[in-house]
Amino acid sequence: MTAARILLADDHALVRRGVRLILDQEPDLTVVAEAGDGAEAVRLAREVEVDLVVLDIAMPRMTGLQAAREIGRRTSRGSAPRMLMLSMHDNEQYFFESLRIGASGYVLKSVADEDLVGACRAALRGEAFVYPGAMSALVRDYLDRKRRGERMPETVLTEREDEVIKLIAEGLSSKEIAQALTISARTVDRHRENILAKLGMRDRTQLTRYAIRAGLIEP
Amino acid sequence: MRLYWKVVLINGAVLVAATLVLVFGPVSVSRQPAASEAAVLLPGLAVMLLANALLLRSSFRPVEKVVAEYDAMLERLEDERAASNAKALAAQEQERHRIAQELHDEVGQQLTVVLLGLKRIEQQLPPDLGEELATLRESVREGLDDVRRVARQLRPGVLEDLGLASALASLASDFAAQSPAAVQRQVAPGLPPLSPESELVVYRVAQEALTNAARHSGATSVVLCLSRVGGSVVLEVTDDGRGFDPTIAGAGLRGMQERARLVGADLTISSTRGATVVRLAVPVAA
Repeated sequence: MTAARILLADDHALVRRGVRLILDQEPDLTVVAEAGDGAEAVRLAREVEVDLVVLDIAMPRMTGLQAAREIGRRTSRGSAPRMLMLSMHDNEQYFFESLRIGASGYVLKSVADEDLVGACRAALRGEAFVYPGAMSALVRDYLDRKRRGERMPETVLTEREDEVIKLIAEGLSSKEIAQALTISARTVDRHRENILAKLGMRDRTQLTRYAIRAGLIEP
Repeated sequence: MRLYWKVVLINGAVLVAATLVLVFGPVSVSRQPAASEAAVLLPGLAVMLLANALLLRSSFRPVEKVVAEYDAMLERLEDERAASNAKALAAQEQERHRIAQELHDEVGQQLTVVLLGLKRIEQQLPPDLGEELATLRESVREGLDDVRRVARQLRPGVLEDLGLASALASLASDFAAQSPAAVQRQVAPGLPPLSPESELVVYRVAQEALTNAARHSGATSVVLCLSRVGGSVVLEVTDDGRGFDPTIAGAGLRGMQERARLVGADLTISSTRGATVVRLAVPVAA
C-alpha cells in the first residue's frame, strides 16, 4: 500500500511541524510538501502531485478558504486533490463554507491531536468529516423538518440512535452524551457515524446537497 | 436696563402717545361710532400696534440672539458627545480586534504546538507515563478552548472571514442552542455589499436584539430578517415575547442607537405585548 501524499499549509512553522509529525507517524499518510501561506499552497498544489491538501484557514497573502477555492477550480480538469480545512474557529459556519468550496471537512485545531488523522482518512475515502458543531445544526434541521411532517429520506433509526440524535441537537458533546446515557464515548461516536450514514450525510457530495437543500449554505 | 422695564416703558410710551393724540388731535368718538370715525381710529390703532412691534423687536433682538446661540451650543454639545461616543466605540472595536487576533495568532498557535507535541510524545512513552501526559494534554485543550471562546466573544471572526450572511446564520444557531424559542432566518440573496463598519453594526445590533429576546422576552418564536428596502439594507429582529417600553432606554438600547449613528443608520424599536420589532436601516453607499 502506498501512503497518501499530503500537502500541508499553515503560516505557523511550529504548528506545521507538529501536524507533520503527527501525520508522518501514520504508515498510510505522508506529508510531501509544505506551504507557509495560501498563495504558496496554490502554487505547490499545481506543481506537486498530491492526494490531499490540509489548509489552515487564517493565513497571510491568501486565506485557506481562498486557496481551497483556487485549488478546487484549477485542478478541476484533472483529478482534484481532496481538501481538509484546519482552524482555530469553533463555528459551524466555517464547516459549511468549507463544504461549499469543495473541501471534505473542517478540523478544529484544539482537537487536531484526536481528529486530524481520522479526518484525513475520511477525506481520502471521499467521505465528509462532519465537524461536531455542524452535526448538531444538521440534526436540528432534520428534526425540525420531521416535526413539520416534511417527507424525509426513508430512515429507520434505532431507539438508541433516536436518543443520541436528540442530545446532539441540543448541542451536547460526545463526552456529555456518553455520560447522559451511561455508555462509552466510543460507542457514541459509532452511533454518530451510523446516524450520518443513515441520513445520507456521510458522503461529501450528499452532505453538501443536503446542506444546500436545508438552506444551511447557498448553492 | 432690565428687559422687563424696557417693555413696560415702551408699551407705556406708545399708550401715552396714543392718548395724547386722542385728547389733542382732531379725533372724536361718539357714543354710537360713525363710519367716518372708525376710518380714522382703525389706521390709528394699526400705527400704534406697528410702532409697538417695531420698538419691542429691537429690544428683544439680543434675547433672541442668546437663545439661538444657546440652541446651537446644545446641538453642538450633542454632536460632540455622539462623535466622541462613536470614536470610543470604534476604538473599542479596534482594540477587541487586536486582542482577538493576538489570542488566535500567538497564544492559540503556541498551545496548538504544545497539544500536537504532547500527543506525539505520548505515543512513544510507557503506558503509565502516557496516561499522565494525556491529562496534561486535556488541560492544554481546555486552555485552547478558553482562548478561542474569549477571542470569539471579542470579535466575530466569522463576519470577517465569511461575511454577514454567515455571521447572522451563526448568531441564529447560537440563539437556537441557548434558547427554547424557535428562530427563523431570512437573508435575501444578492444584497448590495456594505462597508465593514456597517456590517459590524448590523451584526452587533442583531446580537444585542437576540440577546434581549433570549433573556427577557419569554418569546416562543424569533425572526431574523435581512433584506433590501429602497436604498437601504434593512435588518429586522422580531419576537413574540412580552415586550417592553422602548422609550426607557437601557444600556443595550442606547448602545444600539449609538452604533447605528456611527454609520448613519436608522434604528427604530417598536414593542407591544406579543410583537417586538428592532429595525435597523443602513443606507447603501451609491
